[in-house]
Amino acid sequence: MVNRTATWHVKDKIRLIFLNLFYICVCLLGLVPIIYVFLLSVSGGGGALKTGFSILPEKFTLDNYRRIIVEEPFLRWLLNSVVLSVGTMVIAMGTSVLASYAFSRFRFAGKTASMQILLLLNAFPQILSMFAIFRLFRLLGLLDSHAGLIFVYAGSMCIFSIWNMKGYFDSIPIEIEEASKIDGASNFQLIARIILPLARPAIIVTAVMVLIFVWNEYLFATTFMLREESYTLAGGLYQLQANDYSRSWPLFSAAAILVSLPILIIFFCFQKYMVSGLTSGGVKG
Amino acid sequence: MNHTKKNLTPWLYNLPAFILIGIIVLFPILYTGYISLTNMNLYHWQDYTFVGADNYVRALGKIDSGFIAALWTTLLWTAVNMVLDVGIAYILAVGLNAKGLRARRVYKTLLIFPWAMPAYVSILAWRVGMYNTEFGLLNKVLVALGFEKIDFLSRNVPAFLSCMVLNLWMSLPYMIVMFDGALQSVDRSMYESAILDGAGAWQKNWYITIPSLRKVMAPVIIMTTFTTFKQFDIVYLLTMQKGAVSGSTMQTIITYAHQNAFVSNNYGLSSAVSVVIFVIIIVFSVWTNRAAKEV
Amino acid sequence: MRKNIKISLSLLIAGAMTVGMLTGCGQDAAGNAGTATDGTAETDDTALEATQPEQEEASDEEQAGGASASGEAVTITAWHDNDEAMMDALAAVVNEKLAEENITLRFEKKSDVTGQIRLYGTDAANGPDMYLFAHDSLGGFAEMGILEPVGNLISADKEADLLPMTIEAASYKGEQYLMPVYYETLLFMYNKSLWKGEVPSTTEELYDYMVENTDANAGTYALVNQHSNSYNVAPFINGFGGYIIDKDGNPGLNIQETKDAISYNKKFAALQADGDYNTVTALFNEGNAAAIIGGPWLVSGIKEAGIDLGIKSLCDFTLPNGDVMTPYSGVQCLGVLKYAAESKKDAITRVLEVLAEPEAGITLAKEFNCAPANSRAYEDAEVAANEMILAMEKSAQKAVPMSNIPEMSVMWGPAESLLAAVNKSGEDIDAAADQYQEEALQAIADMQ
Repeated sequence: MVNRTATWHVKDKIRLIFLNLFYICVCLLGLVPIIYVFLLSVSGGGGALKTGFSILPEKFTLDNYRRIIVEEPFLRWLLNSVVLSVGTMVIAMGTSVLASYAFSRFRFAGKTASMQILLLLNAFPQILSMFAIFRLFRLLGLLDSHAGLIFVYAGSMCIFSIWNMKGYFDSIPIEIEEASKIDGASNFQLIARIILPLARPAIIVTAVMVLIFVWNEYLFATTFMLREESYTLAGGLYQLQANDYSRSWPLFSAAAILVSLPILIIFFCFQKYMVSGLTSGGVKG
Repeated sequence: MNHTKKNLTPWLYNLPAFILIGIIVLFPILYTGYISLTNMNLYHWQDYTFVGADNYVRALGKIDSGFIAALWTTLLWTAVNMVLDVGIAYILAVGLNAKGLRARRVYKTLLIFPWAMPAYVSILAWRVGMYNTEFGLLNKVLVALGFEKIDFLSRNVPAFLSCMVLNLWMSLPYMIVMFDGALQSVDRSMYESAILDGAGAWQKNWYITIPSLRKVMAPVIIMTTFTTFKQFDIVYLLTMQKGAVSGSTMQTIITYAHQNAFVSNNYGLSSAVSVVIFVIIIVFSVWTNRAAKEV
Repeated sequence: MRKNIKISLSLLIAGAMTVGMLTGCGQDAAGNAGTATDGTAETDDTALEATQPEQEEASDEEQAGGASASGEAVTITAWHDNDEAMMDALAAVVNEKLAEENITLRFEKKSDVTGQIRLYGTDAANGPDMYLFAHDSLGGFAEMGILEPVGNLISADKEADLLPMTIEAASYKGEQYLMPVYYETLLFMYNKSLWKGEVPSTTEELYDYMVENTDANAGTYALVNQHSNSYNVAPFINGFGGYIIDKDGNPGLNIQETKDAISYNKKFAALQADGDYNTVTALFNEGNAAAIIGGPWLVSGIKEAGIDLGIKSLCDFTLPNGDVMTPYSGVQCLGVLKYAAESKKDAITRVLEVLAEPEAGITLAKEFNCAPANSRAYEDAEVAANEMILAMEKSAQKAVPMSNIPEMSVMWGPAESLLAAVNKSGEDIDAAADQYQEEALQAIADMQ
């Protein structure tokens, strides 16, 4: 190690500088549309769309944010979004971790076929399912209820979650489990104590995916929820601003930023769990 | 006794998930199949009757040259998007894991920004903020550089590319995160021994990283392929939304079905079209699966 | 081990529940089909579907206070996809008048309101009592059998003051289904400080003015219009004697008159940016377009931008053939859902009666520049002096009410695609017209 330090310095420092430059460019490029939305959101009413090259707003104002938070039931919608996300996450992850584990660990007749059938079922465009689910939920009295919506979301994300985690479960060496089995652990204990911690990155990524799906979903949220106070953030925003003719771009942009922020915060917080994977889990040894 | 138990255990683990999927995913498909056998439409909204395979005869009649073109567009769309999505995400993720890159957490957070926005917000923002002839940034740049304005969405090829760029912008964050997560599972000691053997960066990627990632990433990539295949929002909202039709006639099979059956509010017929498309997707994926195995 | 058994048990119970649920639905589906085939479907079907919701409905009504006859509070819910402030103002007028009778009208904003009505139109437990939308969607809903004709609820003499044109728009197959509230037509709206000289009175002069005063690369325009939206091109199409669909449901996209109109519109379109709603309104509000073809829905944005607005009726422009530009008129109407007419008949009738009086129209006219459906509203001095409403009133003499037959709903798509193909993709008009006429015919055939 020591005798390589000298060469490391020169070559790798230059490489790091280029790498940093590269990522700064990529990030900026990716952020352009979002910067655009942000700039719209802090510009005054009226003519927010500008033909001139300068995209900076003439006057900076947070009034659009104030209007969303104060004049719309923003906190109520935020709460609804949180309730739906957490509910969906619990149900979707609870069911799919079990299934994913089974698909990864057990050998049983119809295993591959089941996985493939699930994939094919998932290929059915969800938008076409809406009418059927509507009819079913009307019968069950689940329309206009958060429980019904949680059910829809969990069901929609279940196949995805199973598939998303199965690959990672496969990569966990089976020897670890066998060792604990010899120690007398039951299958459920095994999942809770060994598999869950080991598969944490995959589970967290999947859970965040579920969360983002629920957070940003608007079609079911606006079709199945009937009262303004039961909308989610994305649904409420869509309801207010989807129509071209009544859209105020600055207001719309401010709402969009407000919807996205919680997701970014969550992502930032969970990032270190997502990457602290097997390397820190002690599997390597 | 022990044997039966062992056979049942995996199904017990699967049961909760299967129940959920049965209600939310499978039931609607069966129900769509049922509606497709009736004449449910505006004129028979509450008194619809069983009409047998009539709707299927009509649905199959819709598989004309337009449908075939849409199918090819969809295949091209899926292939191009997936190759770029996976390729770019892989390169970015590997780069992020380079030794000594201190700011990687910042980059990662910035890179997932697009993912955090509701899809319709992103699409509208791109339509107006990027592609629009008057306010779009791309056209502002073109005009500033002395070129003519371009209507990106009025013809098929530019519209395809515009939709593709937006699709990549929206789907890359997920791919990057998944690759990044998967890269953590690669055994570092393999690199160390490879370096001792004198392997270059290219060889390390080709012989160590990619093979190690294959198993973890395969399900993710397969899932994303299906999502890309049935992508509807981007093409629809960018080029064919009512009141904002852009002039491009690019169609994927889902938008084709939407335009040819769903706007007529004939639930029986559109259900039959849905079932036919679903069968095509199944046949197609079985076929690719087999082809992939042979290769 | 015990844990295992517990979990297995709970899973089994869950499974049993699901099976129960699924078979339950199966029965419903079979039941529907069964009743449907024996002809008495309509009543049986609704009865069957209503069994569960009805209980909720009952408890709902207890909360709301039951029927209006007993003088207890009734809330009427109406869905719309309109300006919220405007709908609140309308509700305020009604609620003030009906306060003593304990009837409250409440508007709720729903995006894609026609799609929602299709889903919820037979769902007494969750659906609204009424909805507000333009009259062109009427035919479809009437055929679905989800609307209660307004004529059954309110006596004709109460509607005596409504403009005949609006009643006609609200009627389908000889029956008045909807209650007209206000109507709108497209207008020529211009920025007085940007428009040079007099506004011309022929479309040819208008075109010359546009050629002189448009610089697309600099982003300045003389006149902008949503040039590929069939509603906005209708003034040309109707003026040329063409039509999108006739009253018998025959599309007219490839008849010579329509094609002539579209070709004529094309030269205007070339000078009107991309014709997207967002683009054209922003251009006008920003002062980069001197004029726009639009309606009262643009006024709040224009006011906010501080523009000195001038208005001219489109009927004041003469086309080369000697006829004038003839816009569509759209009548915004309230429709009553059947189940609501059964359970809240008296309250709904009262709401309709109040809406048929001039006051609601006067409020909408004063605050939102809507042209009231009630002719007596125009006796109000302020309404009579409103330049915009006058222009719409003038247009309404000639304007063609949008068709309200069910086939109309599938015409917007092909018509808009045809315009976009000609204006934006530069396709040949004859070939494109034939192609989209074919598509329209197919879409109409698909409805049955």
